[in-house]
Amino acid sequence: MSAPARRPLPSPGTAAAIAVAAVALVLPVVLPAPQVSVYVLLLISAIVVTGLSMLMGFAGQVSLGQAAFTMIGAYTAALTATHGVPTWAGLLLAPVAAGTAAALVGVPLLRLRGHQLAFATLAVQLILLSVVGRQEWAGGDIGLQGVPRLTVAGYEFADDVAYAYLALGALGCTVLVVRNIVRSRPGRGLRALATSEVAAASAGVPVAVYKQAVFSLSAAFAGLAGGVYAYYIGYVAPGSFPVLLSFEYVVMVVVGGAGTIWGALAGATAVTLLLQVLNDVGTREGMPASAPAVLSYAVYGLLLVLVVLFMPKGLVPTVTDRWRRRAPARGGAEAEPEAEPAPVK
Amino acid sequence: MSAFLQYLISGIAVGCGFALLASGLVAIHRVTRVVNFAQGMFAVVGGMTAGSLLSAGLPHGAAETAAVLVAGAVGLAAGLVATGKRGTSPQSALIVTLGLGFLAYAVEIMIWGDNPRSHPGLGGSVIVFGAHVQKQSFLVIGVAAAVFALLGLFFGRTYTGKALTACASNPYAARAVGIDVVRMGLLAFALGGMLGGLGGVLLTPLQPISYNSDVLLITNGFAAAILGGLDRPGVALAGALTLGVAESMVAGYGAASYQTVVALALMLTIMTVRASRRTALQEEAAR
Repeated sequence: MSAPARRPLPSPGTAAAIAVAAVALVLPVVLPAPQVSVYVLLLISAIVVTGLSMLMGFAGQVSLGQAAFTMIGAYTAALTATHGVPTWAGLLLAPVAAGTAAALVGVPLLRLRGHQLAFATLAVQLILLSVVGRQEWAGGDIGLQGVPRLTVAGYEFADDVAYAYLALGALGCTVLVVRNIVRSRPGRGLRALATSEVAAASAGVPVAVYKQAVFSLSAAFAGLAGGVYAYYIGYVAPGSFPVLLSFEYVVMVVVGGAGTIWGALAGATAVTLLLQVLNDVGTREGMPASAPAVLSYAVYGLLLVLVVLFMPKGLVPTVTDRWRRRAPARGGAEAEPEAEPAPVK
Repeated sequence: MSAFLQYLISGIAVGCGFALLASGLVAIHRVTRVVNFAQGMFAVVGGMTAGSLLSAGLPHGAAETAAVLVAGAVGLAAGLVATGKRGTSPQSALIVTLGLGFLAYAVEIMIWGDNPRSHPGLGGSVIVFGAHVQKQSFLVIGVAAAVFALLGLFFGRTYTGKALTACASNPYAARAVGIDVVRMGLLAFALGGMLGGLGGVLLTPLQPISYNSDVLLITNGFAAAILGGLDRPGVALAGALTLGVAESMVAGYGAASYQTVVALALMLTIMTVRASRRTALQEEAAR
């Protein structure tokens, strides 16, 4: 990348990235203890959402079953760890297993497009949930308990703060990989195929291979998140990965803005924080027992409907567009043309 | 043999319920190109409303009819939100209907709580060739058959039905001859709501439903509808019957918990086989 040579001052995007990274690094230390666990779960969601945002925004494919791959990652980590495999190897195996599963499932599934693929991925997750719930070696519906803590080179990740940094590291890797793919030549091919597969194919983009690769990669990120989750919570069960979780990831992508890394991060943060606030409100005294569930469903629904109808590009692209239009003189024109996210199909 | 017959008839009954759901999905998709994810929700709303009205003292028949009308109104409202705003693509509308499903969860939990519910249908059972069959099963089959016959007449003989079909085959030409395509889309949503609601009202006595039953209902309905490419109600009916019987047989002879797996695997197989016959060029040309 020759960007720094061209522009001596960091661009607004880079400055924002540095600021966000600094805040993210300080947060685990300054947050009160109960909030750190919310932060860890937020980061874990953000990993999945970044991968899904790439799949939805750049390859134009909707997956309504992304939590299935999180589940595969989590079970891989939990199963290997409870069978005596070193936990660091389990963490590496989690994304590999999820990515491989996606590659296998993708061969028949990725012939489908649009709503068909959405339903097919949903079906895959429902099948997986039902089958895993019946397997004795996977603990059935009760799941696997007593997953050991993650240990790397003798250091045991014991408390919430350690896991916050672990999740941050995993998220950082995810963001770097996605950012570099998006800006590369294959990344441009991906955007082309999201608009029109035929046009992309006739321009020489290996459509099937690229779709397969992005699908597997986004699943691998979900698997990585699942691995971190398994060691952090210490317990995995089919109930931890409901269909609703998959929908939640889609809500996060759509709210933040599909096809941008900032959008994925903002979407995950916004939805998690909002749900946290509502959960606090819902569990106050005098609220009915069903209040937290009612509030969170209502918010998912309202967010999804309002954002799709009135902010179809999502939060981050809408805001940056507006900012650029208001300040065209301040480098808006010379700023690196941001990749136009592909329409979600 | 008697067990087989028992599974077959209850499978056909459940299949008829799925068929009603699927035909609602088809009606909406044909006219608006929207895959309505909230279709399962219509069934839940219909079933739950019928139960509440019955326990409030309304007689059978009146309660069920009112529930179907309520589901139709919910369908109309869903259509207004999902397609009412100009420039909403069918793909965005799918996500909107997903969001509406969530909103419905909130409302359903507030009204009916989160436990599975059922309401009494036709009580008792009849013995056919040694097989005990619930009377409700025959009711479902009979009503579904009547509804499908009426739908055939509606689409084939009435002006509104023909206008709907016109919008389905060529929206541009339909608009050119003065058909209000947007209003027809809303009508399709209301019809879809009623069909979904009817499916829910009929199925609830056979299998209790809770607010989140809609995911399984919609995947079953979609599985049936996808057989006909989401466009042909007759094929959707055949698909739904196959699905219902297959699930019932798996539950009867195998393990009950594998019945959804079988249905979903069937749907995946059919979808991928169908997809391999259509190229990307055909799909993009059809847009």
